[in-house]
Amino acid sequence: MSRHPAPEELLLDYAAGALPEGLALAVGLHVVLDPEARRTVDRLNALGGALMEHEPEAGLDEGAPTEIALERMLSRLDKIAVEPRPAPFVPRPGFEWAPPPLARYLGPNPRWRRVLGGFEEMRLAMRGDSHRVSLLRLMPGRGLPVHRHAGTEHTVVLQGGYTDETGNFGVGDFTFGPNSEHEPIADPGDPCIALIVLEQPIVLTGPIGRWLNPLVRRDWI
Amino acid sequence: MLSADEAADLIEAIASRQDRAAFAALFRHFAPRVKAFVIRGGTDAETAQEVAQEALVMVWRKAASFDRLRASAATWIYTIARNKRIDLLRRSARPIDTEDWLVVYAPEGEDADKSVLAGQTYTRVKELLGGLSADQLVVIQKAFFEDKTHTVIAEELKLPLGTVKSRIRLALGRLREALEKDES
Repeated sequence: MSRHPAPEELLLDYAAGALPEGLALAVGLHVVLDPEARRTVDRLNALGGALMEHEPEAGLDEGAPTEIALERMLSRLDKIAVEPRPAPFVPRPGFEWAPPPLARYLGPNPRWRRVLGGFEEMRLAMRGDSHRVSLLRLMPGRGLPVHRHAGTEHTVVLQGGYTDETGNFGVGDFTFGPNSEHEPIADPGDPCIALIVLEQPIVLTGPIGRWLNPLVRRDWI
Repeated sequence: MLSADEAADLIEAIASRQDRAAFAALFRHFAPRVKAFVIRGGTDAETAQEVAQEALVMVWRKAASFDRLRASAATWIYTIARNKRIDLLRRSARPIDTEDWLVVYAPEGEDADKSVLAGQTYTRVKELLGGLSADQLVVIQKAFFEDKTHTVIAEELKLPLGTVKSRIRLALGRLREALEKDES
């Protein structure tokens, strides 16, 4: 069990399919990396299955009785192959820290972009999601600028780890705030890579950082 | 009715020999239930029909990905239908991986001793649903049927968010306790 699990209500929202894309990705990564969260979601999916199967048969009626819909479906299947079992997931070289739900967001040529403040960022494009979804990479011993969150920030650690005033966070750990101000520092070892899902832009609060806020708000950095 | 074992046999028959009769039996059982489930969530009947049909097409295409040791047939079909519904509502160009990576990716060997219980877990969950209080059941149903976050559920039930959260926690806690007793 990870030391920083996602709250169970969030796992329920995930299993029910109620989360926006970016947040579903964050919870999905936590679930892949944390066996305890996976067991919980397995159970919640079973609960969803039980509720679904418990539904009284509404019939596919509405002018299309089940048998007619089935006939149409069977003729469609003539052209649709049963696919072979997919090959086991193979991590992409250089991106071993990216498990399956993330891997398909990386695109053909993923690149880290240096950001003012000494870290690197990779933005991930989401459809119709108001969240800002990014990967951040922080070299060991380096910190993020002191900041507080205007909205809720969700974080999943994918490689390495970091420490801030609230504790130490390793691979698979899930955290969310609005926290008070915090200043995460990457742990020794591998660079710390984390997925960050932000409801609204962060607000920099350090002496230099605060001058950068207009740029953050305009999405320039 | 179709037992969990029978449903799993049918999916395996599709995987091993493209068995159309097996598909027909699954379709008759699950397509109307998927549709009813999606309608209950507030989706219109036409879209719900499309979700049900497209979900069953995925059952055909992805039958070889089904692993009865990891999930019951109803659980697997639930996750497919859930993802299809999201795809159709978003009309997205990038569909969610319908071969649920939880099933495909879960590291080999891990949970191997527990995975044999997938079918039993499902049967127990069904029984336990009957053991929840009406209050607990209603928040769980709202969460699943209506795809609502607990914040929205709280507004609808005119309850404080904390109360909804604690009801969800209580309900899930009861399910977990009962299942863990079985697993240990």
